[in-house]
Amino acid sequence: MEKVLLGFAAALAVGLCAIATGWAQSRIGSAGAGTLAEKPELSGTIIILLAIPETMVILGFVVAAMILYL
Amino acid sequence: MSKVEIIGPMEFLLPVLDRVRALGLFQVEQEMRGFVGREDEKAFRSVRLDKKTLAERLYFDDLLARIGQLAAFLPKLPTRCSYLEPHSAVGIVADVVDKHTALCSGLCRRRDALEEERSELLRQTSFLDALEPLFKTAGEGTGLDFIGVSLKNGEAVDHLYQLIARLTGDTFEFVTTSGPEGAIIVLITLPAELGGKVRDVLNGERIPELAFPASLGQLPFPDKVRTVRRRIGDIGAELDRVNAELHRFASRWWPTYHSVREWLLDRLTLLTTTAAIHKTDLCFFIHGWMPSPDVARLSSLLNGEFQGRVVVVEQEALEEEMETVPIAIRNPPYFRPFELFTRILPLPAYRSYDPTPFIGIFFPIFFGMILGDVGYGLLLAACALVMLKLCRTRRDLRDAALILLVSSCYAVVFGFLYGECFGGLVGWALLEQTCVIERSRAIMPMLAFSLSIGVAHVTLGLCLGLWSALRRGAVREALTKLVNILLLLCLAALAVSLFSPFPVPVRRGLNVAVVVAIPLMLLTGGLLAPLEMMKNIGNIVSYARIMAIGLASVLIAQVANRFAGLTGDVLTGAVAGGLLHLINIVLGVFSPTIHSLRLHYVEFFDKFMVYGGRRFEPFKKPSG
Repeated sequence: MEKVLLGFAAALAVGLCAIATGWAQSRIGSAGAGTLAEKPELSGTIIILLAIPETMVILGFVVAAMILYL
Repeated sequence: MSKVEIIGPMEFLLPVLDRVRALGLFQVEQEMRGFVGREDEKAFRSVRLDKKTLAERLYFDDLLARIGQLAAFLPKLPTRCSYLEPHSAVGIVADVVDKHTALCSGLCRRRDALEEERSELLRQTSFLDALEPLFKTAGEGTGLDFIGVSLKNGEAVDHLYQLIARLTGDTFEFVTTSGPEGAIIVLITLPAELGGKVRDVLNGERIPELAFPASLGQLPFPDKVRTVRRRIGDIGAELDRVNAELHRFASRWWPTYHSVREWLLDRLTLLTTTAAIHKTDLCFFIHGWMPSPDVARLSSLLNGEFQGRVVVVEQEALEEEMETVPIAIRNPPYFRPFELFTRILPLPAYRSYDPTPFIGIFFPIFFGMILGDVGYGLLLAACALVMLKLCRTRRDLRDAALILLVSSCYAVVFGFLYGECFGGLVGWALLEQTCVIERSRAIMPMLAFSLSIGVAHVTLGLCLGLWSALRRGAVREALTKLVNILLLLCLAALAVSLFSPFPVPVRRGLNVAVVVAIPLMLLTGGLLAPLEMMKNIGNIVSYARIMAIGLASVLIAQVANRFAGLTGDVLTGAVAGGLLHLINIVLGVFSPTIHSLRLHYVEFFDKFMVYGGRRFEPFKKPSG
């Protein structure tokens, strides 16, 4: 039972963070696409902005790993 | 970058500018402030072009515009060298350019008209192709008239049939076939005396007859078909003749025009820059910036050329000018390709750092740590070599290939350390010997390793920030950075002590250091300092992506291998596994690149980089 709860907690940690990252990236992506249409020279900045929310899912993954392995 | 002033007698102004431009290392500064004292500014005034030079400039501008008009009519050909000296050819070109423009524009108009006529006739021939078999069925007898009609659907065909039957009293032949774009082509054969009547009714019903040029109006239908085909052939031949004439003209005259145009551009740039120069009653002053190592070269060049009458003086840059000093980024050959990533960022301020060497050192290491596979690394290195061979002339692609080559070498090195070749050991005894850690299983050690890399990288960033603040004389900022570094290292040591306990006195010392550092941090950095510290810790955790993305990559590779094994057939397994590996390789290029860059741009450069520099734009010959 404890293992199931640990697995569920780890899944929640990754899953919720992944949803949050997806939502954030969708907003940044659509705004970025609009920006690129007007200023293509900002492509580098947009790519970086798009990569920023991925930290959330990576943090979630780290938490999940700690839940499962520590 | 050195602040430089060139002084000489007025009569040498244009020759000096010419030499400076040929060197291509001097950025002329229009602003006098900073170069001469405020009290002396009144003694200087801008060089104004005399009437003769001004007239010359207007003449060159006009001639350049006329050559531009001619160029628009000519085909783009590889330009050979002109045998004429451009300066002496200017007069000839000015005399004939209008005549040549009229000739070429006439040829272009003729070509456009012919092309338009041909495309119209070709459109008609698509209908004629459909009509030709009907025409053979209908026969080519005398006293008959032929009407061709294009209809959109079957209902219209029935309607037309009944209409013609009523008009001609059933003395007609009605044949249909399918035409281009789903149209139905109808050929109506009827007695010649009924032709006019039927055409009138068709016009009234808005059913247009297949149109032919007015010149063919009087011809019988079969002759129309033959004439159209013959005309298309004639147009083709005439077009070839016109194009050949334009081509001949361009290959004969364009080299001369090209060299004159280059000369004019050159001359106009020189005259335009003259307006940024200042003078007194006796001499001119050219102010500007140039790379420090090249000052001696410029000085000796001008001294030798003008027998010491033109002087190059290196002035001391003032503190308040630091923001305006132009930035020229130059790197050793190894780092030069990495400028591809630096160009995405704004220019660093003059007293900040060129970020290229940092990217050049750490980017391939991070890339290698994330990808870490001997097989993938070797494949990517091969791709990079092919790309290098194919894209020698395109700078960005060549730089990307070089970066890929270096990064894939690191991927091979880390592949040996992880013991991975296409996701597994593949039975290599060498890999088994070199394998230090099997990252698909050792998740927590890899996480600790990634975070250690983060601590080292972020601390290096803070150290550079500390040094940068000291250079700028920002003592308070430097102290904040120092306290941040100490606190970060203490926290990292305490985190390590959780897993591998230190001796009690060491741990107690660390605790005391943290307790002392927190108020110090508040004192130097203000109320926002703890927030900055939290950001630093967040940045370090962000390095966990090195492990996370690498783990995803190796797991996909292992799934590909298992998938290939499950098929039970060598060929199917190779195709299925190969496709998955291919996807993984593509991901293995993009993902590590984006994330390594992000670690630099967001986590690392944030600690020490100051942006907002002004690009160094030396005065040089315009590129053709």
